[in-house]
Amino acid sequence: MRKEWLSRLRFFFLLAFDKNKRQSELDEELQFHLEQATLANIAAGMTQEEARRQALVEFGGVERTREQCHEQRPGWQMGTVVQDVRYALRGFRCNPVFTITVIATLAVGIGATTAVFSVVDRILFRSLPYAHDDRIVSLGLVQSLEKQEFTLGGFFFDWQDNQKPFEAIASQGTMLHACDLVEANPAQLNCIHAQAGFLPLLGISPVLGRNFLPEEDRPNGPRVALISYGLWQDHYNRDAGILNRLIDVDGSPARVIGVLPKGFELPTLQAPDVMMPLALDEGIERKSSPGHPMRTFARLRPGVSIAQAKAEMEPLFVHTQSWIPREIRNDFHLSIRSLRDRETQDVRLMAWILLSSVLAVLLIACANVASLMMARGEVRERELAVRAALGASRGRLIQQTLTEAALLSLAGAVAGMALAEGLLRTFVALAPTGIPFLKRAGLDLRIALFTVLLSGVCGAIFGLLPALQTPRAAALAARATRFHKRAVLRRSLVVGQIAISMVLLTGAALLLRSFQNMQEQSLGMQTGGVFTVRIALPGFRYDTGQKKMAFYLQAEAALRRIPGIRAVGFSDSVPPGGWNNDERLGGFAPEGRRPIPSADNGGPVVTRGVTPDYFRALNIPIVLGRNFTEEDRSSSEYWVVLSRLLAARLFPGEDPVGKRIQKGQNGIWLTVAGVAENVKNSGLTEQDAPEIYYLRRSIAQDWGGRAPVSEVMSGAAPILIVDAVLPPKTVAPWVRSAIAGIDPTVPVETETLAQGVSKLADRPRFETALLGFFAFCGLLMAVIGVYGVIAFMAAQRTQEIGVRMALGATRLNILRLIAGEGVRLIALGGAAGLAVSLATAQLLKSLLYNVGSHDPTMYAAATVLLALVALTATLIPARAAMKVEPVVALREE
Amino acid sequence: MPPSTDLLQGTLDLLILQTLAPGPMHGWGVALRIQQVSKDVLQIGQGSLYPALHRLEYKGWIESDWGNSENNRRAKFYALTATGRKQLETELETWERLSAAIALVLGRNAEASA
Repeated sequence: MRKEWLSRLRFFFLLAFDKNKRQSELDEELQFHLEQATLANIAAGMTQEEARRQALVEFGGVERTREQCHEQRPGWQMGTVVQDVRYALRGFRCNPVFTITVIATLAVGIGATTAVFSVVDRILFRSLPYAHDDRIVSLGLVQSLEKQEFTLGGFFFDWQDNQKPFEAIASQGTMLHACDLVEANPAQLNCIHAQAGFLPLLGISPVLGRNFLPEEDRPNGPRVALISYGLWQDHYNRDAGILNRLIDVDGSPARVIGVLPKGFELPTLQAPDVMMPLALDEGIERKSSPGHPMRTFARLRPGVSIAQAKAEMEPLFVHTQSWIPREIRNDFHLSIRSLRDRETQDVRLMAWILLSSVLAVLLIACANVASLMMARGEVRERELAVRAALGASRGRLIQQTLTEAALLSLAGAVAGMALAEGLLRTFVALAPTGIPFLKRAGLDLRIALFTVLLSGVCGAIFGLLPALQTPRAAALAARATRFHKRAVLRRSLVVGQIAISMVLLTGAALLLRSFQNMQEQSLGMQTGGVFTVRIALPGFRYDTGQKKMAFYLQAEAALRRIPGIRAVGFSDSVPPGGWNNDERLGGFAPEGRRPIPSADNGGPVVTRGVTPDYFRALNIPIVLGRNFTEEDRSSSEYWVVLSRLLAARLFPGEDPVGKRIQKGQNGIWLTVAGVAENVKNSGLTEQDAPEIYYLRRSIAQDWGGRAPVSEVMSGAAPILIVDAVLPPKTVAPWVRSAIAGIDPTVPVETETLAQGVSKLADRPRFETALLGFFAFCGLLMAVIGVYGVIAFMAAQRTQEIGVRMALGATRLNILRLIAGEGVRLIALGGAAGLAVSLATAQLLKSLLYNVGSHDPTMYAAATVLLALVALTATLIPARAAMKVEPVVALREE
Repeated sequence: MPPSTDLLQGTLDLLILQTLAPGPMHGWGVALRIQQVSKDVLQIGQGSLYPALHRLEYKGWIESDWGNSENNRRAKFYALTATGRKQLETELETWERLSAAIALVLGRNAEASA
């Protein structure tokens, strides 16, 4: 065997280097055979001439034998591939426009699809990183102010006792909270509390150590903690001795009992550094109302659907509903959603839209490749016929075509992967926060392979069409009269491309308009020159309202001393956002009147705890009465400023200034100091809510903390709002150093108001930019498609045009002839696309702001754009056709 | 003209190897020899002979050398290699088994139809 291999190898090299010698030896050998045959014939009595003729006849095709002898050579097949590749490359070099167009088209199709799929895969398709992820649900109450399910202690235990549809149910705290790791190397961490049953519910077990024991999940139980893999790795250098070590969290020791798996995320999509037992006191929770708020998750029993579970839980909910105060009871509902829904619901629509638009782009790309390959195939039909006539087998022709398609796909794939990588980076950089999983998205090789194959197949199938047909003798005659059948196919491809690109364009136009509306709306405040300063005070050191107030008042005074700062105010939120401290219009009763009774209690009221300079810093005009004054800050009275909307609701047709309002039944009395102009306060796209400004007074209760908070302040940390004359970039460092002068250890975050507002528009900007980009790609490729088809048809008809002109057609007639073809295709495709757009635009509705999903202006704009660009693409070849010289055209071929 | 018989795939290789077994021979000689021995039943066209010779050579079963023919013409002579000889033996065995089996089948068929 080895010897055989050696001899093969020897021949391979011998042949590779000695091809000519081999060839002449073969010729000599065949020549010898021929001579012998002639001699034999002479011996049989033929004349010299006849003998030679007979021998030649018997011998048959010398060239064919020669070829066949060649084909016996080991590695011959590979040689032909190399030959095909060389031939294909030569062809590409001769036709760079074709090559570049195909590769670019493939690259955009492959790149965009791969990048987008990599992003949406986790959102739409990939399973969640928990065991039985399809059976895990989020359950709890929802109400008009909180759309994410939550439970309260008493509800949870009651449900847990009586529920049947779930095999496990457990809760975590409502949100991550900042906590401090106090040791030689201190750090601020994110902590979460969870029940002992929480990790088992998710099917997660610590990579090191163990989960909480039930006795640790009780009040006054041993204080234990699970730490994240990241913390273990970065802070403790993966020290296995971390188990049982005491770490100091927020000033009290906790024993580390385990390390969470790498990349562990809560079902709320947050990554905690430290997890501690929730340690609820069941007895107290059952009695207290409303009890401790939590996020509750459960695992359905196998075979139980969410609808069934909801039906079974409804009686339990109705039972517990009676614990909710009567006035607001109807606002609470039971909700059970699959975990995937909870995690991705608000981005799901966007993900689907992105995915479908990118698939549309891929379709256009494939159609383009197909169309280009067909055109090329048709042009080469004659070449193929010649090659077949010279003895190339069908297989050989197919192999050649496939080689070309494969080469193009390969080049397109390489370019596409580079593009995908770039696009993905752009997505991550551009994307707003809150798109789950995005930060960890990596290029998905499976989908890359899929797109490469898909486009390769597109190219191959359409490239093969001409090779598969028996090359016809007619093709050798080179009369361009038989392209009709395939021309129909190419025309419909173009119509499809135009239609798809029309759909993309209208979608993009609608989003663009909506985004523009959002950007141009009046916020009701100034954003230029204003910046916010957020200070994260470590809770364990600033543990009383007194200490916090002292710090903040010092900071306020220090900032006021900085040159170039016009006003320094406090608030707990910044427009266009706003807190809703669970207050409703019905909770406010003007003196002498009963509160407004209604089903949802008049709807939410936004509250803000501010100091007098807040209005000055944001330049919010006081339209009636007066602003808070510095003196009010030390008064014991509850002064309020109403927004114009709230004033109109509470005091329709009256002057509210100086009037008193009672907050809640038998609550405190508020005095109206003035009325401020409305400010955007429920996000950029939502309807504004009425707003009440409380004065943040200089007393400890008004500064939050874990000490009791005053009745009117939200628990949120105060934010400094600074209006500077100098650019924020200059002032911000001074602000930092001023605060460092008070306490050098507190982290300070500054952000201009414009940045903050712009961040809110991140999501719509992202959507608009992406859809716009895809629409652009789609349009570009569709136009290339139109151009290609028209140019090709014009070229095919050169002779016909020559004849027509010779018979008296004017150049205008010719222009009309060629361009008319294009106009028909564009009109057909555009109409089809418009119909599809109108039918599907409803889907975009929830993403649109102040623009209807059937906005005629935007549809008209998209149509005009498409028509203009596509017409230009037809006019170029049409003009070229118009300039055909009849004599030249007729003399051709 | 003698009736042409389509050669079974692979049989040609066997015939060539068998023809070359006594000693080196050139292509023309091989063709002639097969024709003579088979009493003109098997006529090997050069179109299949030379590719086959080359194939066998690439496989290392025969080797070639240039020498002088009977009428002193330069010709390419093929000879069996050691591997070729072994191959010939295996192929002969296979052939005998196959033809025996075919004969058996045909014989039985003839009986059945009779």
